[in-house]
Amino acid sequence: MVSLLQEIDTEHEDMVHHAALDFYGLLLATCSSDGSVRIFHSRKNNKALAELKGHQGPVWQVAWAHPKFGNILASCSYDRKVIVWKSTTPRDWTKLYEYSNHDSSVNSVDFAPSEYGLVLACASSDGSISVLTCNTEYGVWDAKKIPNAHTIGVNAISWCPAQAPDPAFDQRVTSRSTAVKRLVSGGCDNLVKIWREDNDRWVEEHRLEAHSDWVRDVAWAPSIGLPRSQIATASQDRHVIVWSSNSDLSQWTSSVLHTFDDAVWSISWSTTGNILAVTGGDNNVTLWKENTEGQWIRINYESGTAIQSKQPSHLPHSHSQQQQQAPQQHQQQAPLHPGPSSDSEHSSNLSNSQLSN
Amino acid sequence: MPPTETLRPGERGGAGGSATGGPEQTYIIRQSNKYYEHRDSQATAMSVDYSGQWVLLAGRGHLALQRLGQDDGSLRRHERQSKYEVSVAEFAICPSRKEYCAIATSQYIDIVRWGTSEPHYEMSLRGHTRTVTDIDWHGKDPNLLVSCSIDTFSHIWDLREPRKPALSLNAVCMSGATQVGFNRVSGNLLAAAHDGDLRIWDIRKGSCPTHYITAHLNRVHGINWSHKRETCLATASQDGTVKYFDVCNPRRAEKIITTMSPVWRARYTPIGNGLVSIVVPHLGRGENSLLLWSNSKQTDPICSFVGHTDVILDFAWRPNHESSSEIELVTWSRDRTLRVWKIDDNMLKLCEPSAEEEDSRFEPDLSELRVPTPPELLHPRSILVAASLPISTGDGACNTLPMARSPSFGGYYRREEPHIARSLTDQPTCSLHHEFSLLNTNMPHVEVDTLDAIKRYACFKICAGGHTVILQVTFATSYPSPSAPPEFQLCQGTTLSSEVSGVLLKVLRCNALQRVKKSRTCLEQCLRALVAAMKKKVAAVGGADRSQLHLQSPRLEGALSSTLHDACIPYPRTSGVHFNAIGMLTTFAQPVNNKRLTLRQHTALTPRTFSSINGSGLLGNVMATAQREANASFYLQERMISGKPGKQRAIRQMNGSPVVHIYDTSSLLHISRSMAREFSLDKLNIAETCRKNGELCRQHGRLDLVPVWLLAELIATPQVPHESLNELLFYKDPFKKSLLESLIMHYASSGDIQTAVLLACLFDKCPTGGGAIMEMAVRLPPQLNSQISPYHTVLPLDAKSSSSSNTWQQLKQLRSNSWSDSLDLEVKQVQSDAYACSLIRRVKVPLFDQFKRAYAEILFGWQLLSKRALILKHTQNMPPPIQGVEFVTECGTCAKPKRTPKCEPCKRPVLFCVLCRLPVKGAANACLACGHGGHMDHMMQWFEKHKVCATCGCKCLERTAELLALLS
Repeated sequence: MVSLLQEIDTEHEDMVHHAALDFYGLLLATCSSDGSVRIFHSRKNNKALAELKGHQGPVWQVAWAHPKFGNILASCSYDRKVIVWKSTTPRDWTKLYEYSNHDSSVNSVDFAPSEYGLVLACASSDGSISVLTCNTEYGVWDAKKIPNAHTIGVNAISWCPAQAPDPAFDQRVTSRSTAVKRLVSGGCDNLVKIWREDNDRWVEEHRLEAHSDWVRDVAWAPSIGLPRSQIATASQDRHVIVWSSNSDLSQWTSSVLHTFDDAVWSISWSTTGNILAVTGGDNNVTLWKENTEGQWIRINYESGTAIQSKQPSHLPHSHSQQQQQAPQQHQQQAPLHPGPSSDSEHSSNLSNSQLSN
Repeated sequence: MPPTETLRPGERGGAGGSATGGPEQTYIIRQSNKYYEHRDSQATAMSVDYSGQWVLLAGRGHLALQRLGQDDGSLRRHERQSKYEVSVAEFAICPSRKEYCAIATSQYIDIVRWGTSEPHYEMSLRGHTRTVTDIDWHGKDPNLLVSCSIDTFSHIWDLREPRKPALSLNAVCMSGATQVGFNRVSGNLLAAAHDGDLRIWDIRKGSCPTHYITAHLNRVHGINWSHKRETCLATASQDGTVKYFDVCNPRRAEKIITTMSPVWRARYTPIGNGLVSIVVPHLGRGENSLLLWSNSKQTDPICSFVGHTDVILDFAWRPNHESSSEIELVTWSRDRTLRVWKIDDNMLKLCEPSAEEEDSRFEPDLSELRVPTPPELLHPRSILVAASLPISTGDGACNTLPMARSPSFGGYYRREEPHIARSLTDQPTCSLHHEFSLLNTNMPHVEVDTLDAIKRYACFKICAGGHTVILQVTFATSYPSPSAPPEFQLCQGTTLSSEVSGVLLKVLRCNALQRVKKSRTCLEQCLRALVAAMKKKVAAVGGADRSQLHLQSPRLEGALSSTLHDACIPYPRTSGVHFNAIGMLTTFAQPVNNKRLTLRQHTALTPRTFSSINGSGLLGNVMATAQREANASFYLQERMISGKPGKQRAIRQMNGSPVVHIYDTSSLLHISRSMAREFSLDKLNIAETCRKNGELCRQHGRLDLVPVWLLAELIATPQVPHESLNELLFYKDPFKKSLLESLIMHYASSGDIQTAVLLACLFDKCPTGGGAIMEMAVRLPPQLNSQISPYHTVLPLDAKSSSSSNTWQQLKQLRSNSWSDSLDLEVKQVQSDAYACSLIRRVKVPLFDQFKRAYAEILFGWQLLSKRALILKHTQNMPPPIQGVEFVTECGTCAKPKRTPKCEPCKRPVLFCVLCRLPVKGAANACLACGHGGHMDHMMQWFEKHKVCATCGCKCLERTAELLALLS
């Protein structure tokens, strides 16, 4: 069912932390601890089309803007900066804007739905969230900050899709223009918070408590218009929780998607909002789908069928099912999986001894 | 040296004394009862075991045991090999493990069991990454101990499982932990000191501290929990105070003991109501005082233990087995003497609150003793005097200080004027002295030059914003009464222009006045205000670097840097997933060993913080963080330090460089680009179209969809002969309606948006009747539509709106451009009837339109633009946000703005052409200035020949052009 289109050797000199395809699926952007962002053609495994250098630390995440604003990419880094890049041709990238008003590492960036214009939200370890709005006409950026959004730090941020106008009031254009901007954020205080823009201010609308450790990623499901909203959150506590609400977003109910073997730190919804991809510390990528009974089932890459029905006591089963999944995992990781080498152990020991002084 | 005891003559319990009249306070001065000298010992840590028999002296080169109570004075020495000092040694405090002790060296903790002859190293606790600073045994559970370290962690160890900490308390902060202590009553609470702050943990809930206490302005050197009250603890700090806290009320200290010098330790007496503190003198000179305080009186100590000639490194309690009401104090000093002091019943009684009331019975015997002693006479007796004097502060003590203190003891008091001191025994002096003593001498940018409570003036040097100000403040005697603000004077050395000086002085006076109005002290506020004002002045001139100024404040730096700390940054992702807008999935996962390589803790789970990667010497140091930022290769840095230059490359090759995989998941999402390209939406014969689409699904392997299209075909097929002629019958079929709806909803909610949208589009509007017009409309590309009619509706001509201001108002209202307007008459007709002759109920239309828009976005991603346009044509008109001028017509009857040619409630057309006087329904045009207009054709004809308005003579063309130019 899932076909591998391309395998791209990023040639980054250090760990890659995020990779994202643009809207059309033509360009791939990757970011790495080597401080660079690289742009690739998604259909050819060639050398990088461009290497964007501007960060002085590991780059944690990249985000593409909607193509109606042009080829625009945002990146955030440990060096406390957010850089918005713009390209004329895929090889030609220039810094459009640099935002350095955070006091600590910026961990996550996300562009707002295109209906709101060119708006970028940034989450930082200094505990605050910035919302950067670009006046596309003049190219002026305006920053709004939510201070103390999460104590200790904000790890992830995601926009609510542009709300469908309420059918009952659908007669006029006005209902559309008054669509409320919302954000969801997850932080080190184990909380997930929903923020609503209220007269140029961002107010905390909801506070979702269920995780018992840092929330590592949040993702608001894209909406195709159905009167419901879903948010997936991944946490260090090895849980992925899916929060659901009806269209008015007043009540949120949580259901644990699965308890993973290791911390979960990256989740993504498919466009139609019915498939969730999850990965975490164990480096396994799994795909999950909600069945008609509202249960989350893991689906097999190749056949698209369910692998594992979600059971509260999944442990005795999970092992065999893991193995069932294993060949394909193996296939995916095989090229990058050399055995532990004595050399690496050695250098690790060396670094240990460096410490003791 | 035999144990001596010096009791100052006095009434109370054979001890005590007093000075010449006034509210003089005094206290017992004691020499040690026992005394052991170990000249060759270099022990840095000391501990007394449970039984009180043995004292452990631990140093870099040896461990030594001294048996107390037997006067042989010999040590049992055991050599040890270590290049590090022993940072702390603690005997277990539970009887069942009394022969165990924990000795911390560098980042390791050794558990040593004392056998009959020599120590056995039982185990080594390894978990900290930097120097362990303190250890504390659990009071109840003999297996537990806690250790804290510069690496900011506090680890709780269970000796039964020594390989890793039973619990790690991660204080997410910049500064390492310096002190740690278990609660003595319950053992559940634990306090750890990080610089001046305390974190109180509950070990049953180890994820985050239960309380934060901003305890001191400077580093905390000692934490001690009360033996009686569970939530109380005392802290000793560099800032010269001992504070009593109740952790339930972390905002403020319950009591404060203020001394002149940093306090190294403060510990509650195990029995009685006292507390013993070690004061460390500045510059290592004199006054190595060990003081006993009553917990109910903070102004004066009860007793001073004198004898040590150098800094007291540590002290411990030794239970006295003969008498339960007495305890002994064992101290170890840098003068390499171990002293034992008896704290007897009488002294403990003095600590009780009741004993302190009787001030009247003091006698002036102490006065002759308090003759200034030259510091060079350092025989024990003089030390006794010197040590006893400067430590007592507070209101009562301040009178004695100026007299007794020799000039060499610091610049706070001027000894030359003892008579002034005596004459000023009234309250103001004290409060001024009190204010000075409370003044934070570590204010950023402020240097305290002189604080003279006697002469009532103070000098400060303030350097901020590139300028220096020498400020002299003189206090009136009545200060801080409302009428007596202090006087400020800028002295020589000030580098400001007189103009700026004036402004700054004004700032000072304002601030001072505000405070003294309420009879409050004002010095510190004034100084802060001055610094702020100076910064602002300079920032206004030169635009100084704000961030740098911020960082100069130690408090702010603490707050700021704690957020810079890697411990709050999540662990970097080594794998990731990302769906893009058209269902392509990007994944990457880096090899596991690459990750583990840099981990120092081999835990099963991935750690949560970034700091666990390089939780090395760089931790806890902002500067180091900055350096590391500059290093491009991040995780490899350590390896690069260790190895040859080419090594980085080698490692990369070994691990393989990170690979990103791109998957096409569109089939999982039930969307297909190729099918989208071929689907037909031909509405002339819906049944036929359904058949075609079904066939298409079969070709693309979507056999599950074939029956659906079959169903759709059935829906589209008229049941009754000639039904198609009678549309109403066809479209009123309730079964078909609900079947179709549930089909669409099913596919939408199960994620097959493609099928849902195709069905919704196909049955959207009636295929016959308006069909031909629809075709025509469909063929018109939208861009063309908008070109046809730049301005559409026109302002009405009633008198009300012809006044210019009103016109402007209306001009500002935006107007929709329109897609439908150009379709004019017929399409409007079709649309109004569309709901009646559609199988889709009206209430569902907005929802289905959302589906269509979502699908259109996917088509956009696939770059199937014409298909996208086709789908969007089936949505209700949802014009894009308008940019430009919009005309709004107003109904002449109900005076409401209308966007349609006809006012529905009034059943009246809203716009009449000024030329033909007939209602306008289609394209219209009007003058922006006078508002007159009408059918576009008529207007064009008119203005081909004329230049002025047909009605009012306004120069329409020119003025409209002007206004449009203005607007743009």
